[in-house]
Amino acid sequence: MSLVVDHLFKRFGSVVALDDLAFEVAPGQVFGFLGANGAGKTTTMRIALGVLEPDAGRVTWRGTDSHRLPRSTWGYLPEERGLYPRMRVLDQLVFFGGLHGVPAERAKREAMAWLRRFRAEDLAGRKAEQLSKGNQQKVQFIAAVLHDPQVLLMDEPFTGLDPVNVMLLREAFLELRDRGRTVVFSTHQMEVAEALCESVAIVDRGRMVIGGRLRDVKRATGRRLVRISVADDHRLPWLAAIPGTRVIQVGMDRSSIELDAGVEPETVLAAAVAAGVRVVHFEIADPSLEQVFIDHVGHPLDEELHLAPVDDAGVPVAGGVA
Amino acid sequence: MTRPGEPNEPGDRDRPVETDARVETDGPVARTHGGGGNVSLVARREYSERVRSRAFVFSTLLLAGLAVVVALLPLMVRLVDRASVTRVAVTAVEPGLAERAVSVMDGFLNARLAANGEGGDTIFAFQPMDDAGRAVAAVREGSVAATMVLTRTASGGIDAQVLSAGALGPDRAQLLQVGTFAVGVLDWTASQPATTRPFVIPTFAVVDAAAGGSGSGGAVATVDAAEYASRRIVGIVFVMLSFLTLVFYGLWVASGVVAEKANRVMELLISAATAPQLVVGKIAGIGLAGLTQVALVLAPAVLTLMASDRIADAVLGTATGPGSSLAALSPGLLGAFLVYFVLGFALYAALYAGAGSLLSRAEDLQIVALPLSIPAIAGYLPAVLALSGGTSPFIRFASYVPLWSPFVMMARLSAGNVQPWELALSVGLLAATVPLVTWLAIRVFRAGVLLYGQPPTVRTFVRAVRHG
Repeated sequence: MSLVVDHLFKRFGSVVALDDLAFEVAPGQVFGFLGANGAGKTTTMRIALGVLEPDAGRVTWRGTDSHRLPRSTWGYLPEERGLYPRMRVLDQLVFFGGLHGVPAERAKREAMAWLRRFRAEDLAGRKAEQLSKGNQQKVQFIAAVLHDPQVLLMDEPFTGLDPVNVMLLREAFLELRDRGRTVVFSTHQMEVAEALCESVAIVDRGRMVIGGRLRDVKRATGRRLVRISVADDHRLPWLAAIPGTRVIQVGMDRSSIELDAGVEPETVLAAAVAAGVRVVHFEIADPSLEQVFIDHVGHPLDEELHLAPVDDAGVPVAGGVA
Repeated sequence: MTRPGEPNEPGDRDRPVETDARVETDGPVARTHGGGGNVSLVARREYSERVRSRAFVFSTLLLAGLAVVVALLPLMVRLVDRASVTRVAVTAVEPGLAERAVSVMDGFLNARLAANGEGGDTIFAFQPMDDAGRAVAAVREGSVAATMVLTRTASGGIDAQVLSAGALGPDRAQLLQVGTFAVGVLDWTASQPATTRPFVIPTFAVVDAAAGGSGSGGAVATVDAAEYASRRIVGIVFVMLSFLTLVFYGLWVASGVVAEKANRVMELLISAATAPQLVVGKIAGIGLAGLTQVALVLAPAVLTLMASDRIADAVLGTATGPGSSLAALSPGLLGAFLVYFVLGFALYAALYAGAGSLLSRAEDLQIVALPLSIPAIAGYLPAVLALSGGTSPFIRFASYVPLWSPFVMMARLSAGNVQPWELALSVGLLAATVPLVTWLAIRVFRAGVLLYGQPPTVRTFVRAVRHG
């Protein structure tokens, strides 16, 4: 009894958006849907909402086909934010609540209660066009949850938010989960997913790469992470002698070393001791989600955020993620 | 953790707290709610947004002002007309009758106005003619505004047939009737001993000389000049108002859809309500705003028309007689206008909604505005022709075509001469086209609202219909 994305296929002209995408989300979970732009996250959500038709496959919730579910099952926060610019915030929330069947009086109460929770009561009488981006985002989040939906589908909810609002939204997510709601959100920010999700699905170009409980996904790579604190030279020169290790984060306090599959953490500790280093802290951890993504997809998730490599003539080389 | 609404609603029983219970209890309820509720929600939002907009207020004021001016036109014509001279030829078979009538009417009509304190302007120039044929020809040539043919009836009374080719205004015709009455009275008292026969009120009719025929036969269609003028005015108001409102509000539907797409509120809408709910709600809401505007525009104009007799009395003096500009505004015509307006609006609005959903930015609106207004303009032209009484095959055809019938059939109805089967065919075709086009628009809309950055070409449209 869960949210099942059941082997979806979808093409837009010659572009394949979804290619046999399948995963399950257990109810009452916060679920991270990870992938680069164009991986098919938005298309999947739109199919779940019934806004788009898949070429094949289906989405079910608690065994019912998404077509036969009332729309109020879902609370949707689109990636592209939008409100009626000249409508008052409270009126918009009552309107959207009404579309999901919430009577006006109750919608008004709920909207005010949520605004209070977000410490933004004063927004109620303002027009949307007068709001900052972060405040618009709050209003949209409230519009998505006002009717108390079973499943929340949030498309890149943290993009463009300042740290304060990221914290508020994270708390709201966890609170909704504690109330038994299922929260699915897409992101390309791995740290957020790592901090919030119990399960994840990593997609690339419409195909499922890996999915499941966060810990299982991390362990499946065979890689491990060692966090080490040393009393003297924090650059860890002795590490070069061990093949299959890589320092991913250097710090005065603590450094993180990634180990390829087959490299035992104890080797690192032994090498440190052999080099006469005073080890203050030693911890074995799972690899970062970022590394899991690179292992499976072959390039970092945020590759497109960096300039493409330069060829000999000084002209950028074509390539990168489509 | 507390739920946001909890402190305020301790007794809120209709809201299940348990997760699993909600799917079972709330689900089906919410599902049945979806249809009409959302349509009216969307419609109400659109309606209040439009009616409160500045464009609505200004255009209503402007159009209402225009409509009042149009309603006052007949009065103004009467005012201007008062100063002009109407030339009337008078002919009769009976020797001397024409000359006697001329002297009576000249003295009676022109002097009567003078007695009214209006300066004694000569408003009629009467001219006896012996040759009836030449008198009729004079009307056709336009050298006289009308020719009055006087005939002695079997009972000894007088029959007056006034031939006119449109140059005789309704008020002048009425004055002539008054004059004829005077001729009849004097004829009865002067030429006969009072006891031989009772007084017979002279019969009087205005005959349209342009309609052909000899001008004296009973087969010639008799047109009441006053009603003819009234029909034209009412028709012009209806056709103009339909045309302006349908095109203007149609464009409003399109721009509303584009705006929702451009500011991305559409994604939220389409995930909360279905495409049919959004399209129908939008058309209904904006259509009602349009109907509100039409009512606001027409009300002062109708009031002006109803008051125009009293205004005429105040401005022109009591002698001018009733203007009866409202003669053509029958409840039937008003009902037909309502039917054509509602159906015509639904048709145009559906087209505009579909077209709007294919656009991404407000700037693109111009791309569809012109092609979509062409069918409306193409229907407006035959409507204007139909208003002047034209009944060519093309006009008849145009009055059945759904995109044109709201204008052309309204014009034909205003002018008269519409067979019942024609009206039934026209309304039937329109009523059948509306759901078909709405269905198409919904398909286009469903696919179109999520498409961004694609040029609104025929190919995009066809793809949208096929995949929507």
